[in-house]
Amino acid sequence: MFPYKGYAGRYLRVNLSTGEIQTCELEPAFAETWLGGNGFGAKILWDEVGRDVDPLSPENRLIIATGPICGTLMPNSSRTEVITKSPLTGIYGDANVGGMFGPELKFAGYDMVIFEGRAPEPVYLLVEDDRVQLRDARHLWGKMVSEAQALVQQELGDDNFKFATIGPAGENLVRYASIQMTPNRSAARCGVGAVMGSKRLKSIVVRGFGKVAIAHPQEFYDIAVQAHKKLLQNEFYKPVSRYGTAGLVTLMNRMGRFPTKNFQMGSFPFADDISAETLHDRYFVNDVGCFNCPIHCDKVYRVQDGEFAGAATNSLEYETLGSLGAGIWNNNLASIVRANVMCDELGLDTISAGRTIAFAMELWEKGILTGADTGGIPLEWGDYNTALALLEQVAKREGFGGLLAEGTRRMAALIGRGAEQYAMEVKGQEIAAQDGRAQRSMGLAHVTSTRGADHLKGFPVLDETGYPSEGVRRYGTQYMPEIVDPLATRYKPMLVIDGENFGAVIDSSGNCKSGGTFVLAEIYWQEMADAIRTATGMDMTVERLKTIGERIYNLQRCYGVLHGISRKDDRLPPRFKEEPNPSGHAKGQTFDVEPLLDEYYQLRGWDVKTGIPTRAKLRELGLEDVADRLGIA
Amino acid sequence: MQLYIDSAKCTGCRICEVFCSFKHESAIQPAKARITVLAGDEPGRFIPFTCMQCARPACAEACPVGAITRNEESGLVSVDANECIGCRMCVQACPFGAMSYDRDRGIAYKCDLCGGDPECARMCPTGAIQFLREEVIIARRRKTGPAMLKRAAHLIEGE
Repeated sequence: MFPYKGYAGRYLRVNLSTGEIQTCELEPAFAETWLGGNGFGAKILWDEVGRDVDPLSPENRLIIATGPICGTLMPNSSRTEVITKSPLTGIYGDANVGGMFGPELKFAGYDMVIFEGRAPEPVYLLVEDDRVQLRDARHLWGKMVSEAQALVQQELGDDNFKFATIGPAGENLVRYASIQMTPNRSAARCGVGAVMGSKRLKSIVVRGFGKVAIAHPQEFYDIAVQAHKKLLQNEFYKPVSRYGTAGLVTLMNRMGRFPTKNFQMGSFPFADDISAETLHDRYFVNDVGCFNCPIHCDKVYRVQDGEFAGAATNSLEYETLGSLGAGIWNNNLASIVRANVMCDELGLDTISAGRTIAFAMELWEKGILTGADTGGIPLEWGDYNTALALLEQVAKREGFGGLLAEGTRRMAALIGRGAEQYAMEVKGQEIAAQDGRAQRSMGLAHVTSTRGADHLKGFPVLDETGYPSEGVRRYGTQYMPEIVDPLATRYKPMLVIDGENFGAVIDSSGNCKSGGTFVLAEIYWQEMADAIRTATGMDMTVERLKTIGERIYNLQRCYGVLHGISRKDDRLPPRFKEEPNPSGHAKGQTFDVEPLLDEYYQLRGWDVKTGIPTRAKLRELGLEDVADRLGIA
Repeated sequence: MQLYIDSAKCTGCRICEVFCSFKHESAIQPAKARITVLAGDEPGRFIPFTCMQCARPACAEACPVGAITRNEESGLVSVDANECIGCRMCVQACPFGAMSYDRDRGIAYKCDLCGGDPECARMCPTGAIQFLREEVIIARRRKTGPAMLKRAAHLIEGE
């Protein structure tokens, strides 16, 4: 018997080629070493998906993993992690998602589902406690996400199932296709939806009637209630619960950290037209909370009138207002709502989708792309109707959309003619709505992320808007004021590393980085160690938890190294170094990540010349076998 | 005291289900929570739903062994687990579906207001669920009720 509570203690292995479904017992040592979520996923990828496996081949794994805190009393315990070798970047890939799916999987009695193979015909997986079946999904193939889910609900005669579903984009192997989870939350990045599509798996449909048991109920209850209270009292509770991440539009625009026109600018002159305040005043319907989350940063918006009347959406995030708004010079808010609906229905990552379109628009502006390339479609800045049409083309891989569906890096290579100069990506993943010229730590985080350009691995938020009280609480007074100053480079490698390790733990626990751990910043190492210890009964301390976080992050990096990643790949597009940010607080600033990298590798215990973890570091983390396989001396 | 449910404030986060089930089952098990968040008729609308503690409880009337009684003072309708024979007549009788049946224990169960300090109301972050005196609840309804009437009158006048 699996000795720890908090976990379900079991997981599923589904071979889609043979149709074989295995229920496996979780190994205690595996849980102690890798915790859950992206720790589990990184280890399974490392063990089972070798260097030569094509991400879209049957040999790749699609891993959907929760953690010991998911589905428990802790606030924001909704998160689920999807891990796979990414078809966008070719290295370690993951996408993290809130909503209701992960907790339901645990109530059904499983911490994780591992898919391998490829179904001969489209299928969906039904999980209802011990009843686990692959079912025919031929009639769902080609359907939009909500339509497919409605059909399954009808078929099963129950609307209480929780879904993880791909849209046409995933089916058509768009390299940044998402998996949409109930209620309309997106596991979006790294093309996880394309891997699901390559396996001919349309949906995972879960209902659970069971329980998540707790090792020390009274202690855990007290910790969780305390955490709920602290969130409600946090100074950012009000703005975040009212506006969600959209509230960042105004703040980031002022900082010059709101990438506009494919990062040509750091501020959008029409930001007020697409701000959270405008969104709220015009289209707000209601707040929506993920499982056990008091913050409810998600909202339903509905466009009441005009050409997009009726468009209604969940979770219109800062990132989407950035990528399909400022990024393409679009200040038509209703069109962004509509674009968000389309991405959620087609199953597309709004970040990569919008950024790829922005890239194409800049290539048009520069004359690198012409009507001959685009099938006669002009790609003018701000032309939202074209952007909307392109989303559809991308998902169906029709016309010019077929090229966009490959993502920025492949597009640049296919187009040639100097296009790569304007390709705003790192390791093949499109950069989201941050800018190292305006916030140094984010620039560093973009290149050190294990999944390609990403703000959420290091997630340095303390210096985003300046958060001195938490800066002092987390790191002491000795690093002030630089640690909360966005333009200071001092101490930022330390800040980013701590975020990466802590974030690896949060993404493995089933808790949320947008909730009380980073954004509201009330739950830190001590609180998390206490929560895991009392929930699971593991002998968990801050020291041990820090080692787990570091171990997970190192293995993700090593998975990159296995695929040829080294210091040469830890670089930003030239624009950040060569073109000064023209606006906002960051006006005139450029950013060169190189000097920060030396310090980053040193602090990490990685080789400074190559950026590869040293044998000594890997040995310290219990990963000597990893050093052996990589041939690290 | 009664549970006052203002579904317009509900975000569907299910904190009530989580903490209710923990209080009663010492584990997190929404399927056994005595309160359930139902989906409303459009996206983003939710309705927290639990026992109404009826003044004339259909469940009690249906119970063949008198295991369900209503406390006249507190208004609480409760199932005596020792008396319950697990026949599920009460589950059938409740017009709202608020009575549940525990297959493991072989007894009916429902909201017991946590003995006077309901977890759902204590933990709800938005005030969608509150535990209040009847007088207060009615006073609050009157605040919104007449406003609706006024609006209606205005509309009629407008015509």
